[in-house]
Amino acid sequence: MTESICRALRDGALEGEHAPALTIKDSIASPFGFHVFTHVLTQLSSQILAGKSQSRGLVLVALSRSPSFYVDLLKRRGFDVASSKKWIQILDCYTDPLGWKDRLVESGNIAHLYSEASSRASLCKNVKDMDKLFTSIIELGKGLVGQGKVRFCVAIDLVSEIFRHASISSVAGLLSNLRSNDQVSSIFWSSHSDLHEERVTAVLGYISSMVASVEPLNQSANGLRCNSENLSLLERNYWKGKFHARFKRRNGRVRVMSEEFHVEQSIINFTPLSSEDEMINRSLLPKVQFSLQLSEKEQIDRAKVVLPFEHQGNGKPIQIYDGRRSLADSKNEAAPVATGVLQTNENSSTGEIIYLRDSDDERPDSDEDPDDDLDI
Amino acid sequence: MATTKSRTSSFSRNLAAVPSSTNPGLKYGPNGTIFISSGIPDLDKILGGGFPLGSLVMVMEDAEAPHHMLLLRNFMSQGLVHKQPLLYASPSKDPKGFLGTLPSPGSAKDDKSRIRDPEQEKGLRIAWQYKKYFDEHQQSFDSIRDGKYEYCNDFDLRKPLERHFLSSQHIDCVSIQETQDLTALRNRCATFLTQFPRNDGNISPAGRIAIQSFCSPQCEYSNMEWDMLSFIRSLRSMIRSSNAVAVVTFPPSLLSPSFSRRWQHMADTLLSVRAIPDEDKELAKLLTGYQEMVGLLNVHKVARINTQVPVILEATTFSIKLQKRRFLVLECLNQAPIDSSSGSSYGTSATCSGTSKSGTLDF
Repeated sequence: MTESICRALRDGALEGEHAPALTIKDSIASPFGFHVFTHVLTQLSSQILAGKSQSRGLVLVALSRSPSFYVDLLKRRGFDVASSKKWIQILDCYTDPLGWKDRLVESGNIAHLYSEASSRASLCKNVKDMDKLFTSIIELGKGLVGQGKVRFCVAIDLVSEIFRHASISSVAGLLSNLRSNDQVSSIFWSSHSDLHEERVTAVLGYISSMVASVEPLNQSANGLRCNSENLSLLERNYWKGKFHARFKRRNGRVRVMSEEFHVEQSIINFTPLSSEDEMINRSLLPKVQFSLQLSEKEQIDRAKVVLPFEHQGNGKPIQIYDGRRSLADSKNEAAPVATGVLQTNENSSTGEIIYLRDSDDERPDSDEDPDDDLDI
Repeated sequence: MATTKSRTSSFSRNLAAVPSSTNPGLKYGPNGTIFISSGIPDLDKILGGGFPLGSLVMVMEDAEAPHHMLLLRNFMSQGLVHKQPLLYASPSKDPKGFLGTLPSPGSAKDDKSRIRDPEQEKGLRIAWQYKKYFDEHQQSFDSIRDGKYEYCNDFDLRKPLERHFLSSQHIDCVSIQETQDLTALRNRCATFLTQFPRNDGNISPAGRIAIQSFCSPQCEYSNMEWDMLSFIRSLRSMIRSSNAVAVVTFPPSLLSPSFSRRWQHMADTLLSVRAIPDEDKELAKLLTGYQEMVGLLNVHKVARINTQVPVILEATTFSIKLQKRRFLVLECLNQAPIDSSSGSSYGTSATCSGTSKSGTLDF
């Protein structure tokens, strides 16, 4: 399932479509959203390097970790760091997001500041300005892939940090503008769902095309008392959890998938769900009726049934069917049975009506039995 | 069946079911209401004729599916085909781009293959003894099947609308992303609606307003909930006194619950669209036609403006299907025949139990 997520990000956007966007959300109960983020990051990076993805570069907006952390991460995962500036650029919003160092220098308190200059990271000094952030990201991306039709991916470390500094509508505007930009192939970000009000989580879900959530293995883990017996169990279960994803597909349906994950020494591994935990979507359907309409085949069959008086007037002599005598041109093959039953049968190519009289004792045309006139 | 037979009294007026040829975009209904088509034939039938002039239609979106766009597209195209002026507001930067995705009416030969409304077919075959003595007056309903003059067209979602419909002067597009407050939009709507005053006996061409994703998060006014509510209220009162219909779509999950309720209360006709899960084996077993369904449509409220008699629908949930991937069709949900060998009971569809293993004795 994580492969489907990475595949969707790798394939990117079709012409005229918004770029696919992934939200990774976690909470304090299972705080491994960042591990999922780095997993997706490394997967996508290897796809970019191998040339298998739509995008040719990646712009990483670093808010919760410093750029050097990411460089080390890439080194640890086996990427060649020296040539990395050709395909990855990091927008450093971690070191000095609000521009305090400049103000310190200005106020004369500090003479000189050591700044970490790097060819693959550029510093952002004002996280509050969404327009500036947008243009910096796009410029960095264009620097990687050039002008024209080539695209790049965007990864935002922790969107929750941006929500601290700017209003919901401006951040939503930033994310949707990034999605609709022609040169962005795909975009993904992580967030902590318990740092926001519900509306922010709903907004992030509205904007993204895939929502992935990290949840603990048992929901009731928080309620358990910490005894010495189950402490080790709790500790072991802490590193495991469930990973759910909801994909908004192009045909308008929602694909829901789940997996289990296990974090070992900061590397996350995914395994398919072990237990059969089926959720039935009964809430969707309040009332379901039996079909009262006929399908095409059924309509054709119905049209073939010859009703009692329909075949009269065709030139043949009209006969009143008595019921007791068999017709000369009988079409029906029903054998009279003592207790008769009126049936409509739609077998063979002509439909038939099989009429069996209730009893043979009645006189024809009596007032009590108007069915005597039935001409079948 | 997707029809409602509303019998409000034992005397029913003999109304012309076919629209007048002078103004094919309008249909006259009971109690002095005039309908315009929603662009979806099945929806018109469900609502009893279409959207009444002077009403506000609200569509609740599902954040996970774009089905409200299908409704909007058909609504806007129908207006353009009937030369009804249109005001379209959307949160994107370039609303005119959306006009390029409007569908065109399907060609006549595609229509005939659809199963026609059973009411129109002289379907009840009566075996009448004296039939042979009389000439059967076969009155076949051959309504004028000229594409342009139909009240409601069947739109082919794969064919874009012809240019000459789009180049008329009657289309106004507004982007609501940058607007700080809603007074500008309100004034735009007010000036648009002055073209369609409601005077007795004077039927000017009807107008249509389409507002997409009204509380979309990228709009700057989207956290001013009281302002948005007061905009809707003033829009509703402006619409009431004019010969126009406004369709507003909004995602209720982005509003706080009390405001979501208030907005729903403001609507005259309230619809909601919902996404369905993909590759869901349980749903596939439960419903026929699951494979072709793209979503669900719920009708919560039907506008009743000049009367106090409510509409009670036989069914309120419909499945949205794309017939031949082109035509939007709404169908009642039909339960799949229950497989007797599997032992599942009739009661499983009504209960909300979490387990799928129901005993054979469950009711």
